[in-house]
Amino acid sequence: MPLATGLIIALVLISISLIGVFVVRPGITATQGGKVMAFLVLFFLPILCTGLGVSSELERSKTTKFCLSCHIMESYGQSLRVDDPTYLAAAHFQNHRVPAEEACYTCHANYAMFGSMKAKMAGLRHVYVYYFTKPPAPENIKLHEPYNNRECLHCHLGARSFEQGAVHTADPDLLPALKANKLSCVSSGCHEVVHNVGTLSKVKMWDGQP
Amino acid sequence: MSLSANPLERRLQLSGILLILGLLIEAICLFRARPLSFLAFLAVGGTFLFLGLVVYLLSLVSVRPTSRRSDS
Repeated sequence: MPLATGLIIALVLISISLIGVFVVRPGITATQGGKVMAFLVLFFLPILCTGLGVSSELERSKTTKFCLSCHIMESYGQSLRVDDPTYLAAAHFQNHRVPAEEACYTCHANYAMFGSMKAKMAGLRHVYVYYFTKPPAPENIKLHEPYNNRECLHCHLGARSFEQGAVHTADPDLLPALKANKLSCVSSGCHEVVHNVGTLSKVKMWDGQP
Repeated sequence: MSLSANPLERRLQLSGILLILGLLIEAICLFRARPLSFLAFLAVGGTFLFLGLVVYLLSLVSVRPTSRRSDS
């Protein structure tokens, strides 16, 4: 457990103890000092605890471990360990092109305005589908909308390997089309092997640590 | 432990109990980094906490001067 979360839990437990004093001895609010204490303990502290808790939970919800904690996502976690550089997600994860601790979030967050919030809303929809409907088989899971090049360009735009790569510059119309999201990075026959969880049983896995 | 006969103190006690329940649920949820814990933190813990805060604020605005005089 991260230290910050431990400190928040400690603060919550202290708050519970202090609130308990007011529950057992409500008469202490009769004095002026008691009223001020009651405001701090019954109003300010719970809001502080919840605010810190929400912040901690939101940070944890970005972690790879959090995303892969749902059974249905296990094969997607395995796909990060495929020993084949043509697997886009695996190549990014194993070579630290994305932070290993936040691999899913880094590629699947929307980098437009309110993108982080939209990612959380999409996550809530995943939870709903997982627990309250019949979820599809892992290999049949589809993105809500076509993958936007914006998410790739968030890191790759301006990078030499992207701007001056032999394949990228072979056709002068290619880079402008990629940057305008008219030609998808992942479905144009170039980087189309991403997770491909349906083929995992046939590929070799990497057993190292990212 | 029994609830106080004084209406203001009784509301404060009720508020405290709701807040304790909410914070306990939040503390338990913080132990586990899983989607359901996240939902329980927000939906269940948040609801208890919200109700506790509302009861506390209502207790502040619903104090009648006559009842305060009769208490003293």
